[in-house]
Amino acid sequence: MQKHSLVVFFGSASLLLSAGVGAINTPPASAKVELGEAEPFCNSGAPPEWRKSQVLEGVAIQESRVCDPDNPADIAAFVKGTNNISMQTLMDTKLASDALSKTNDMDGDGDPDHIIIKLEVMEINGHSPDFPGVVPTFDIAPGVQPGFWVFTPKTRDMSTTSFASAVANPLLRLPAPVIRVEQGDVVWIVVENTHYFPHSIHLHGVDHPFMDHGGEGNDGVGQTSQMDIMPGQSKTYVIRPRQPGTMYYHCHVQPHTHIPMGLAGMFIVEENRPNNWVQTFNVGAGQVRHPSVAVKEKYSQEYDLHYQSIDKELHKLIQSANDPRLIAKAMNQEYDITDAKDDYFVLNGRSFPYTLRESLIVVEPNEKVKLRILNGHTENLALHTHGHKATETHYDGIEQNPSAQITRDVYSLAPAQRLDLELNTANDGLHSYGAGLWMFHDHVEKAFTTDGMGEGGSISLIAYKEYVEENGTPKSHGMDLKPYFTKKYWERKLPVWQDWADDWGSLGQPAAPTTNPSASGNAGSAQASSGSWGKLFTGFLLGMAGYFLYLNRERMKAISGQLASQWKARK
Amino acid sequence: MANLVYLLALSFFLASSVSGAEQKIVEHNMLMDHGDGHLMDMEGGMVMGQNKDKLPGGCDKISEDAQITVKAGHKYARKFPGTMFAFDQQEWRVKPCTRLTVHFINEDNVRHQWMMHGLPKYIYDKGMFHLEVTGPAKISGTLILPKEDKTYLVHCDIAQHMEKGMKGQLIVGNGSGTFPSIPGLTDLAIPDDYGQAQPAATAPVDTQPADSFLTGSLIIGLVLGIFGAPFVIRIARERFKGMTFNDFLAYVSGLFTELVNAIMKFFTWLYQLVTSRNRYLPKK
Repeated sequence: MQKHSLVVFFGSASLLLSAGVGAINTPPASAKVELGEAEPFCNSGAPPEWRKSQVLEGVAIQESRVCDPDNPADIAAFVKGTNNISMQTLMDTKLASDALSKTNDMDGDGDPDHIIIKLEVMEINGHSPDFPGVVPTFDIAPGVQPGFWVFTPKTRDMSTTSFASAVANPLLRLPAPVIRVEQGDVVWIVVENTHYFPHSIHLHGVDHPFMDHGGEGNDGVGQTSQMDIMPGQSKTYVIRPRQPGTMYYHCHVQPHTHIPMGLAGMFIVEENRPNNWVQTFNVGAGQVRHPSVAVKEKYSQEYDLHYQSIDKELHKLIQSANDPRLIAKAMNQEYDITDAKDDYFVLNGRSFPYTLRESLIVVEPNEKVKLRILNGHTENLALHTHGHKATETHYDGIEQNPSAQITRDVYSLAPAQRLDLELNTANDGLHSYGAGLWMFHDHVEKAFTTDGMGEGGSISLIAYKEYVEENGTPKSHGMDLKPYFTKKYWERKLPVWQDWADDWGSLGQPAAPTTNPSASGNAGSAQASSGSWGKLFTGFLLGMAGYFLYLNRERMKAISGQLASQWKARK
Repeated sequence: MANLVYLLALSFFLASSVSGAEQKIVEHNMLMDHGDGHLMDMEGGMVMGQNKDKLPGGCDKISEDAQITVKAGHKYARKFPGTMFAFDQQEWRVKPCTRLTVHFINEDNVRHQWMMHGLPKYIYDKGMFHLEVTGPAKISGTLILPKEDKTYLVHCDIAQHMEKGMKGQLIVGNGSGTFPSIPGLTDLAIPDDYGQAQPAATAPVDTQPADSFLTGSLIIGLVLGIFGAPFVIRIARERFKGMTFNDFLAYVSGLFTELVNAIMKFFTWLYQLVTSRNRYLPKK
């Protein structure tokens, strides 16, 4: 032992000596990485009056105090149907004139009972053979553009906001829209497959007959029910749901890739009430600005929360080729989901910080808010609310016996499960700890990152109104959120803590060393040989040459001497 | 009562779906004019940029009245491998100042568009002329083309429809070049990678980075060379002791012939191994 420590002592002493006296190896100073361009917190360009509580086309629309609120004209169209609104309101939307028709008050209770919903299948962040970017674009976080497929309400005109822009029109987005109908409505869901692959709709948990009255399959499962809907074709699903609840719909063609690609949404059957015009679409999910009569009996507000996870390798496939056959091969025969890992986590189609622009739950004290949650992840979801304990009222759309309902702060959902929560903002130390900006997020750690960069993922806030500006900016009291609004941050180029500790950057990024240790010098000569056998042979030849040089060293000396003297003589 | 209406609704639906299967083309000719050349009906038919009488600058009069009929749908993609939707034609030529009526027939059961960009904005809102209809249906619209020689992009702007083949160009006069990625006309600006011929595609790719010259195997070779060379030379000297140079050459060529024979034998054996299966197959 003693001997050993002696060796260590002498070893380190000799190391010190060898470093020399004058040259102390000082580590490099911190080099500040410039932030670069940061987006403003709110750049939605939404007119301020869109956020206000208002009545349009006779439809009461609740306030939405977020940066990027839904267009009230869309809400009016979704409540009344495109067949019951003025041309001006229809023109203020991007909807096709036949996107949603509501007719026929069959039970005479003051609301329409025959609903025709037309859906299209759209690709966003898709490939272009004409330029290197993607189109139409939809960023889940600054500069993050995975390719998606979504159902959309039937739209008209361009798929981008203008010819000069590649940005998707606001109805083309993740997630597929929440669909709301009333219990007992006759609902036709017309899927017009505008995409280049086959698709279908399976109504998960929604009461629907296996076959429709015309003898066609109605379950959306190619193997058992009805051939998939081919590109350019359409199919009508006919349902009359008898039970209310928070349900689910998704494509059932190659579902292990088509569901993660985005062809999935919430399907909500509202309880039957008189004069109950429900908001048939909630595009982008989030706040329901026109809650149903039954919801308003118990709650002041209602939010749809759709969680999804994204494997970036899968979502890159549609961007890597144009030929549908190549994309199909890559997705169906080469991609292996059993080897896959999720990289992005989104709430209502966005990751933090973009979630703050549209997915705030804005509350006031002593409110009861209904949250409908869908776990669209490929794995479990463990949703946690800071500052609140909410009550689990419905599982997969079925009400839990009120006396057995559980109040807690982590809500667990397996994939495809739905959960209804009652969020009570009474400051009693149990349901709420009082006003503030309270995060809510999936507590599976990777889910609050974006490709492993924190804090990203599906984080959003329960924001008390006194903490939110008129334009939806939360009055946060912590760090500057600017870095989160740069592309650089998500490209992993900004040291997270560089400006925090002090002004010399003690937690910044060390400057790169100025001298380059060689290593590059040797590379040039080794072009010819490849593989280790080649190397072995080269070495062998060199060795032989060395041996012969050694054998004939006297002659070599003589030759070199002669050459040297000749050279001198010439000079 | 409710059930009766339900059944009625269903039977209406069935009737309409049957007619859809027969591919009866519905004519959308009851459009409502919303001004500025924007016409629309409640079944999703739409015309934008309709202009029957406003002459673009430089046109003294309408040079001629022309009509084209364009069909659109999945089936027109058949001619063009790697596409999914297409128009039946990819290029149209007209004279400057032509008054052109486009009859657009969509034979699919989804929306398609015949959308033209780059027109003068003082006549055409957003510089667009646009026909849109959900098939199977027909819609028609009219515009007057400017005087300048120009090539106009024509496409369906539904996400991925242009990319997957529904793209063409309208050439006024001599035109002004061509657009890329038009099926059968121009190449993709960014071509797809179809890989190598089959065997090469499955060959393992050497992904080892180019590393430094001094690797372990090179050093082993070096050692072998330096210390092995004396032995090799000694053995060779013993073997060829007393031989002339010609004898040595003969010996080496003999070795070479043996080697070639051995290789030939190996390949003959391989060939027989592969072809011999035929012997066991029943003859037809």
